[in-house]
Amino acid sequence: MGNIRQNTAALYTLEQLAEGDTAIHGLHPMAKLLGTLFYMVMLISFPRYRLGMLAPFVFYPVLMLSLGEIPFKLVGKRVLVALPFCLFAGLSNALLDRSPMVFVGGVGFSGGVISCLSILLKTLLCVSVVLVLVAVTPMRALTASLRRLHVPGVFVSLFEMTYRYVGCLMEEVSSMSAAYALRGKPRLEMRHMGAFAGQLLLRSYDRAERIYHAMKCRGFGGSMIGETAGKMSAGDWFFLLAVSLSSALFRFVDIPALLGGVLC
Amino acid sequence: MLTVEHLSLTYEDGTVGLENVSFSLTQGETCALIGANGAGKTSLMMALVGIADFRGRIVAGGVESEKQNLPLLRQRVGLVFQNPDDQLFMPTIFQDVAFGLQNMGLPDDEVRRRTEGTLERLGILHLKDRSSLRLSGGEKRMAALATVLAMEPEVVLLDEPTAFLDPKARRRLIGVLKGLEQTMLVATHDLPFALEVCKRSIVLTEGRAFADGLSEELLFDEEKMDQGGVEAIRRYG
Repeated sequence: MGNIRQNTAALYTLEQLAEGDTAIHGLHPMAKLLGTLFYMVMLISFPRYRLGMLAPFVFYPVLMLSLGEIPFKLVGKRVLVALPFCLFAGLSNALLDRSPMVFVGGVGFSGGVISCLSILLKTLLCVSVVLVLVAVTPMRALTASLRRLHVPGVFVSLFEMTYRYVGCLMEEVSSMSAAYALRGKPRLEMRHMGAFAGQLLLRSYDRAERIYHAMKCRGFGGSMIGETAGKMSAGDWFFLLAVSLSSALFRFVDIPALLGGVLC
Repeated sequence: MLTVEHLSLTYEDGTVGLENVSFSLTQGETCALIGANGAGKTSLMMALVGIADFRGRIVAGGVESEKQNLPLLRQRVGLVFQNPDDQLFMPTIFQDVAFGLQNMGLPDDEVRRRTEGTLERLGILHLKDRSSLRLSGGEKRMAALATVLAMEPEVVLLDEPTAFLDPKARRRLIGVLKGLEQTMLVATHDLPFALEVCKRSIVLTEGRAFADGLSEELLFDEEKMDQGGVEAIRRYG
């Protein structure tokens, strides 16, 4: 139970870091959002067998983490949550495509293994840049930017609400698990799972309703109002341009091969 | 400042929440709402901020409670919920307090000024970047109160404000509430608290206003309080 409570608190730790005052935090939310989106599009569009070319993409999240003074460990731990999912997705490639493609030190690696590693790296990089974005930009500013990009309001509201209610749900799980463990066994038994899940649904619905009332009492009218970010400055445009151009460069030019050629 | 006339409220399952309740509070008046569990205290609070549907008339700060007036009414009347966890839903206390101000459409610098000013006034400015998940009960209560006071409402409603508080935090809350100039309606089971904070008390029984009078008289009236389903404060010596 302690873990659930800790995880609930940790859930919003990244967002609390978004209140920092580094140069990265000070950038316009729209510049950071568009930069991240462009980076992800370039990353995802990579051919699956060009594993080596992906290496330069590591620079962007690392640079953002360093300049934004975000602890690497904090993001690293969260990125690992995605690992089983992408591993599961990539493993089928490794199992189906077994013909050797690359030889390193006499050891042959199949196309499947290469594409599996490629999926793994792409997913972890995508997750890490999203986490970095959340850690250096307040959530309200992000959703306000999404609205400015004309993403349908209902989707943005749904995203905001889901994000907020996850914490409530985890709190309810925490207190119900504590009550269960104190009167029974430390682990939830299969025969009690149905009743537990049903009660959890009812309790979290009730809690969500009370929170919604509290929001309405303070003027909530259906969408979160973010801080007005104003217009993008020259610095913001420069950041966006730099991220976009470097992502495009990494995508279309084989930087590692180029460097290798220069060094050899 | 707050006028309630013939207020009735019935739940969907037919249960009567409130029946023909009428009273009014003048500017700066402090009133306790006393009653047993299920007497209708929270229902009345919810009706006063337009969350629960009702029959009758409510006017607060010159604003009549009608659908088109609800945003304005909720700026004039602030409700502090019984459980502060229901009121604190943003990642930081600062954002929680700023939430209502941003919804009021105030400029960013004004939001910051009012938020920090309110937190400082309540002595919890040092908590502004903390998550409510990591606060004590007393700190959460103060933060929940700050979310409402920052909006500078003319009427403050408090639902069981001493619930979850230890004696020290309770004492601190009393100090803060006694310093407020707003009109206050406090639903509570804590009669010594009501006596200290509110000059007037209304006893609710089964959704009806059963008794209304000065706290220093009514809360000690054993017969009347017993009839109202509440235990009076006992005089010793």
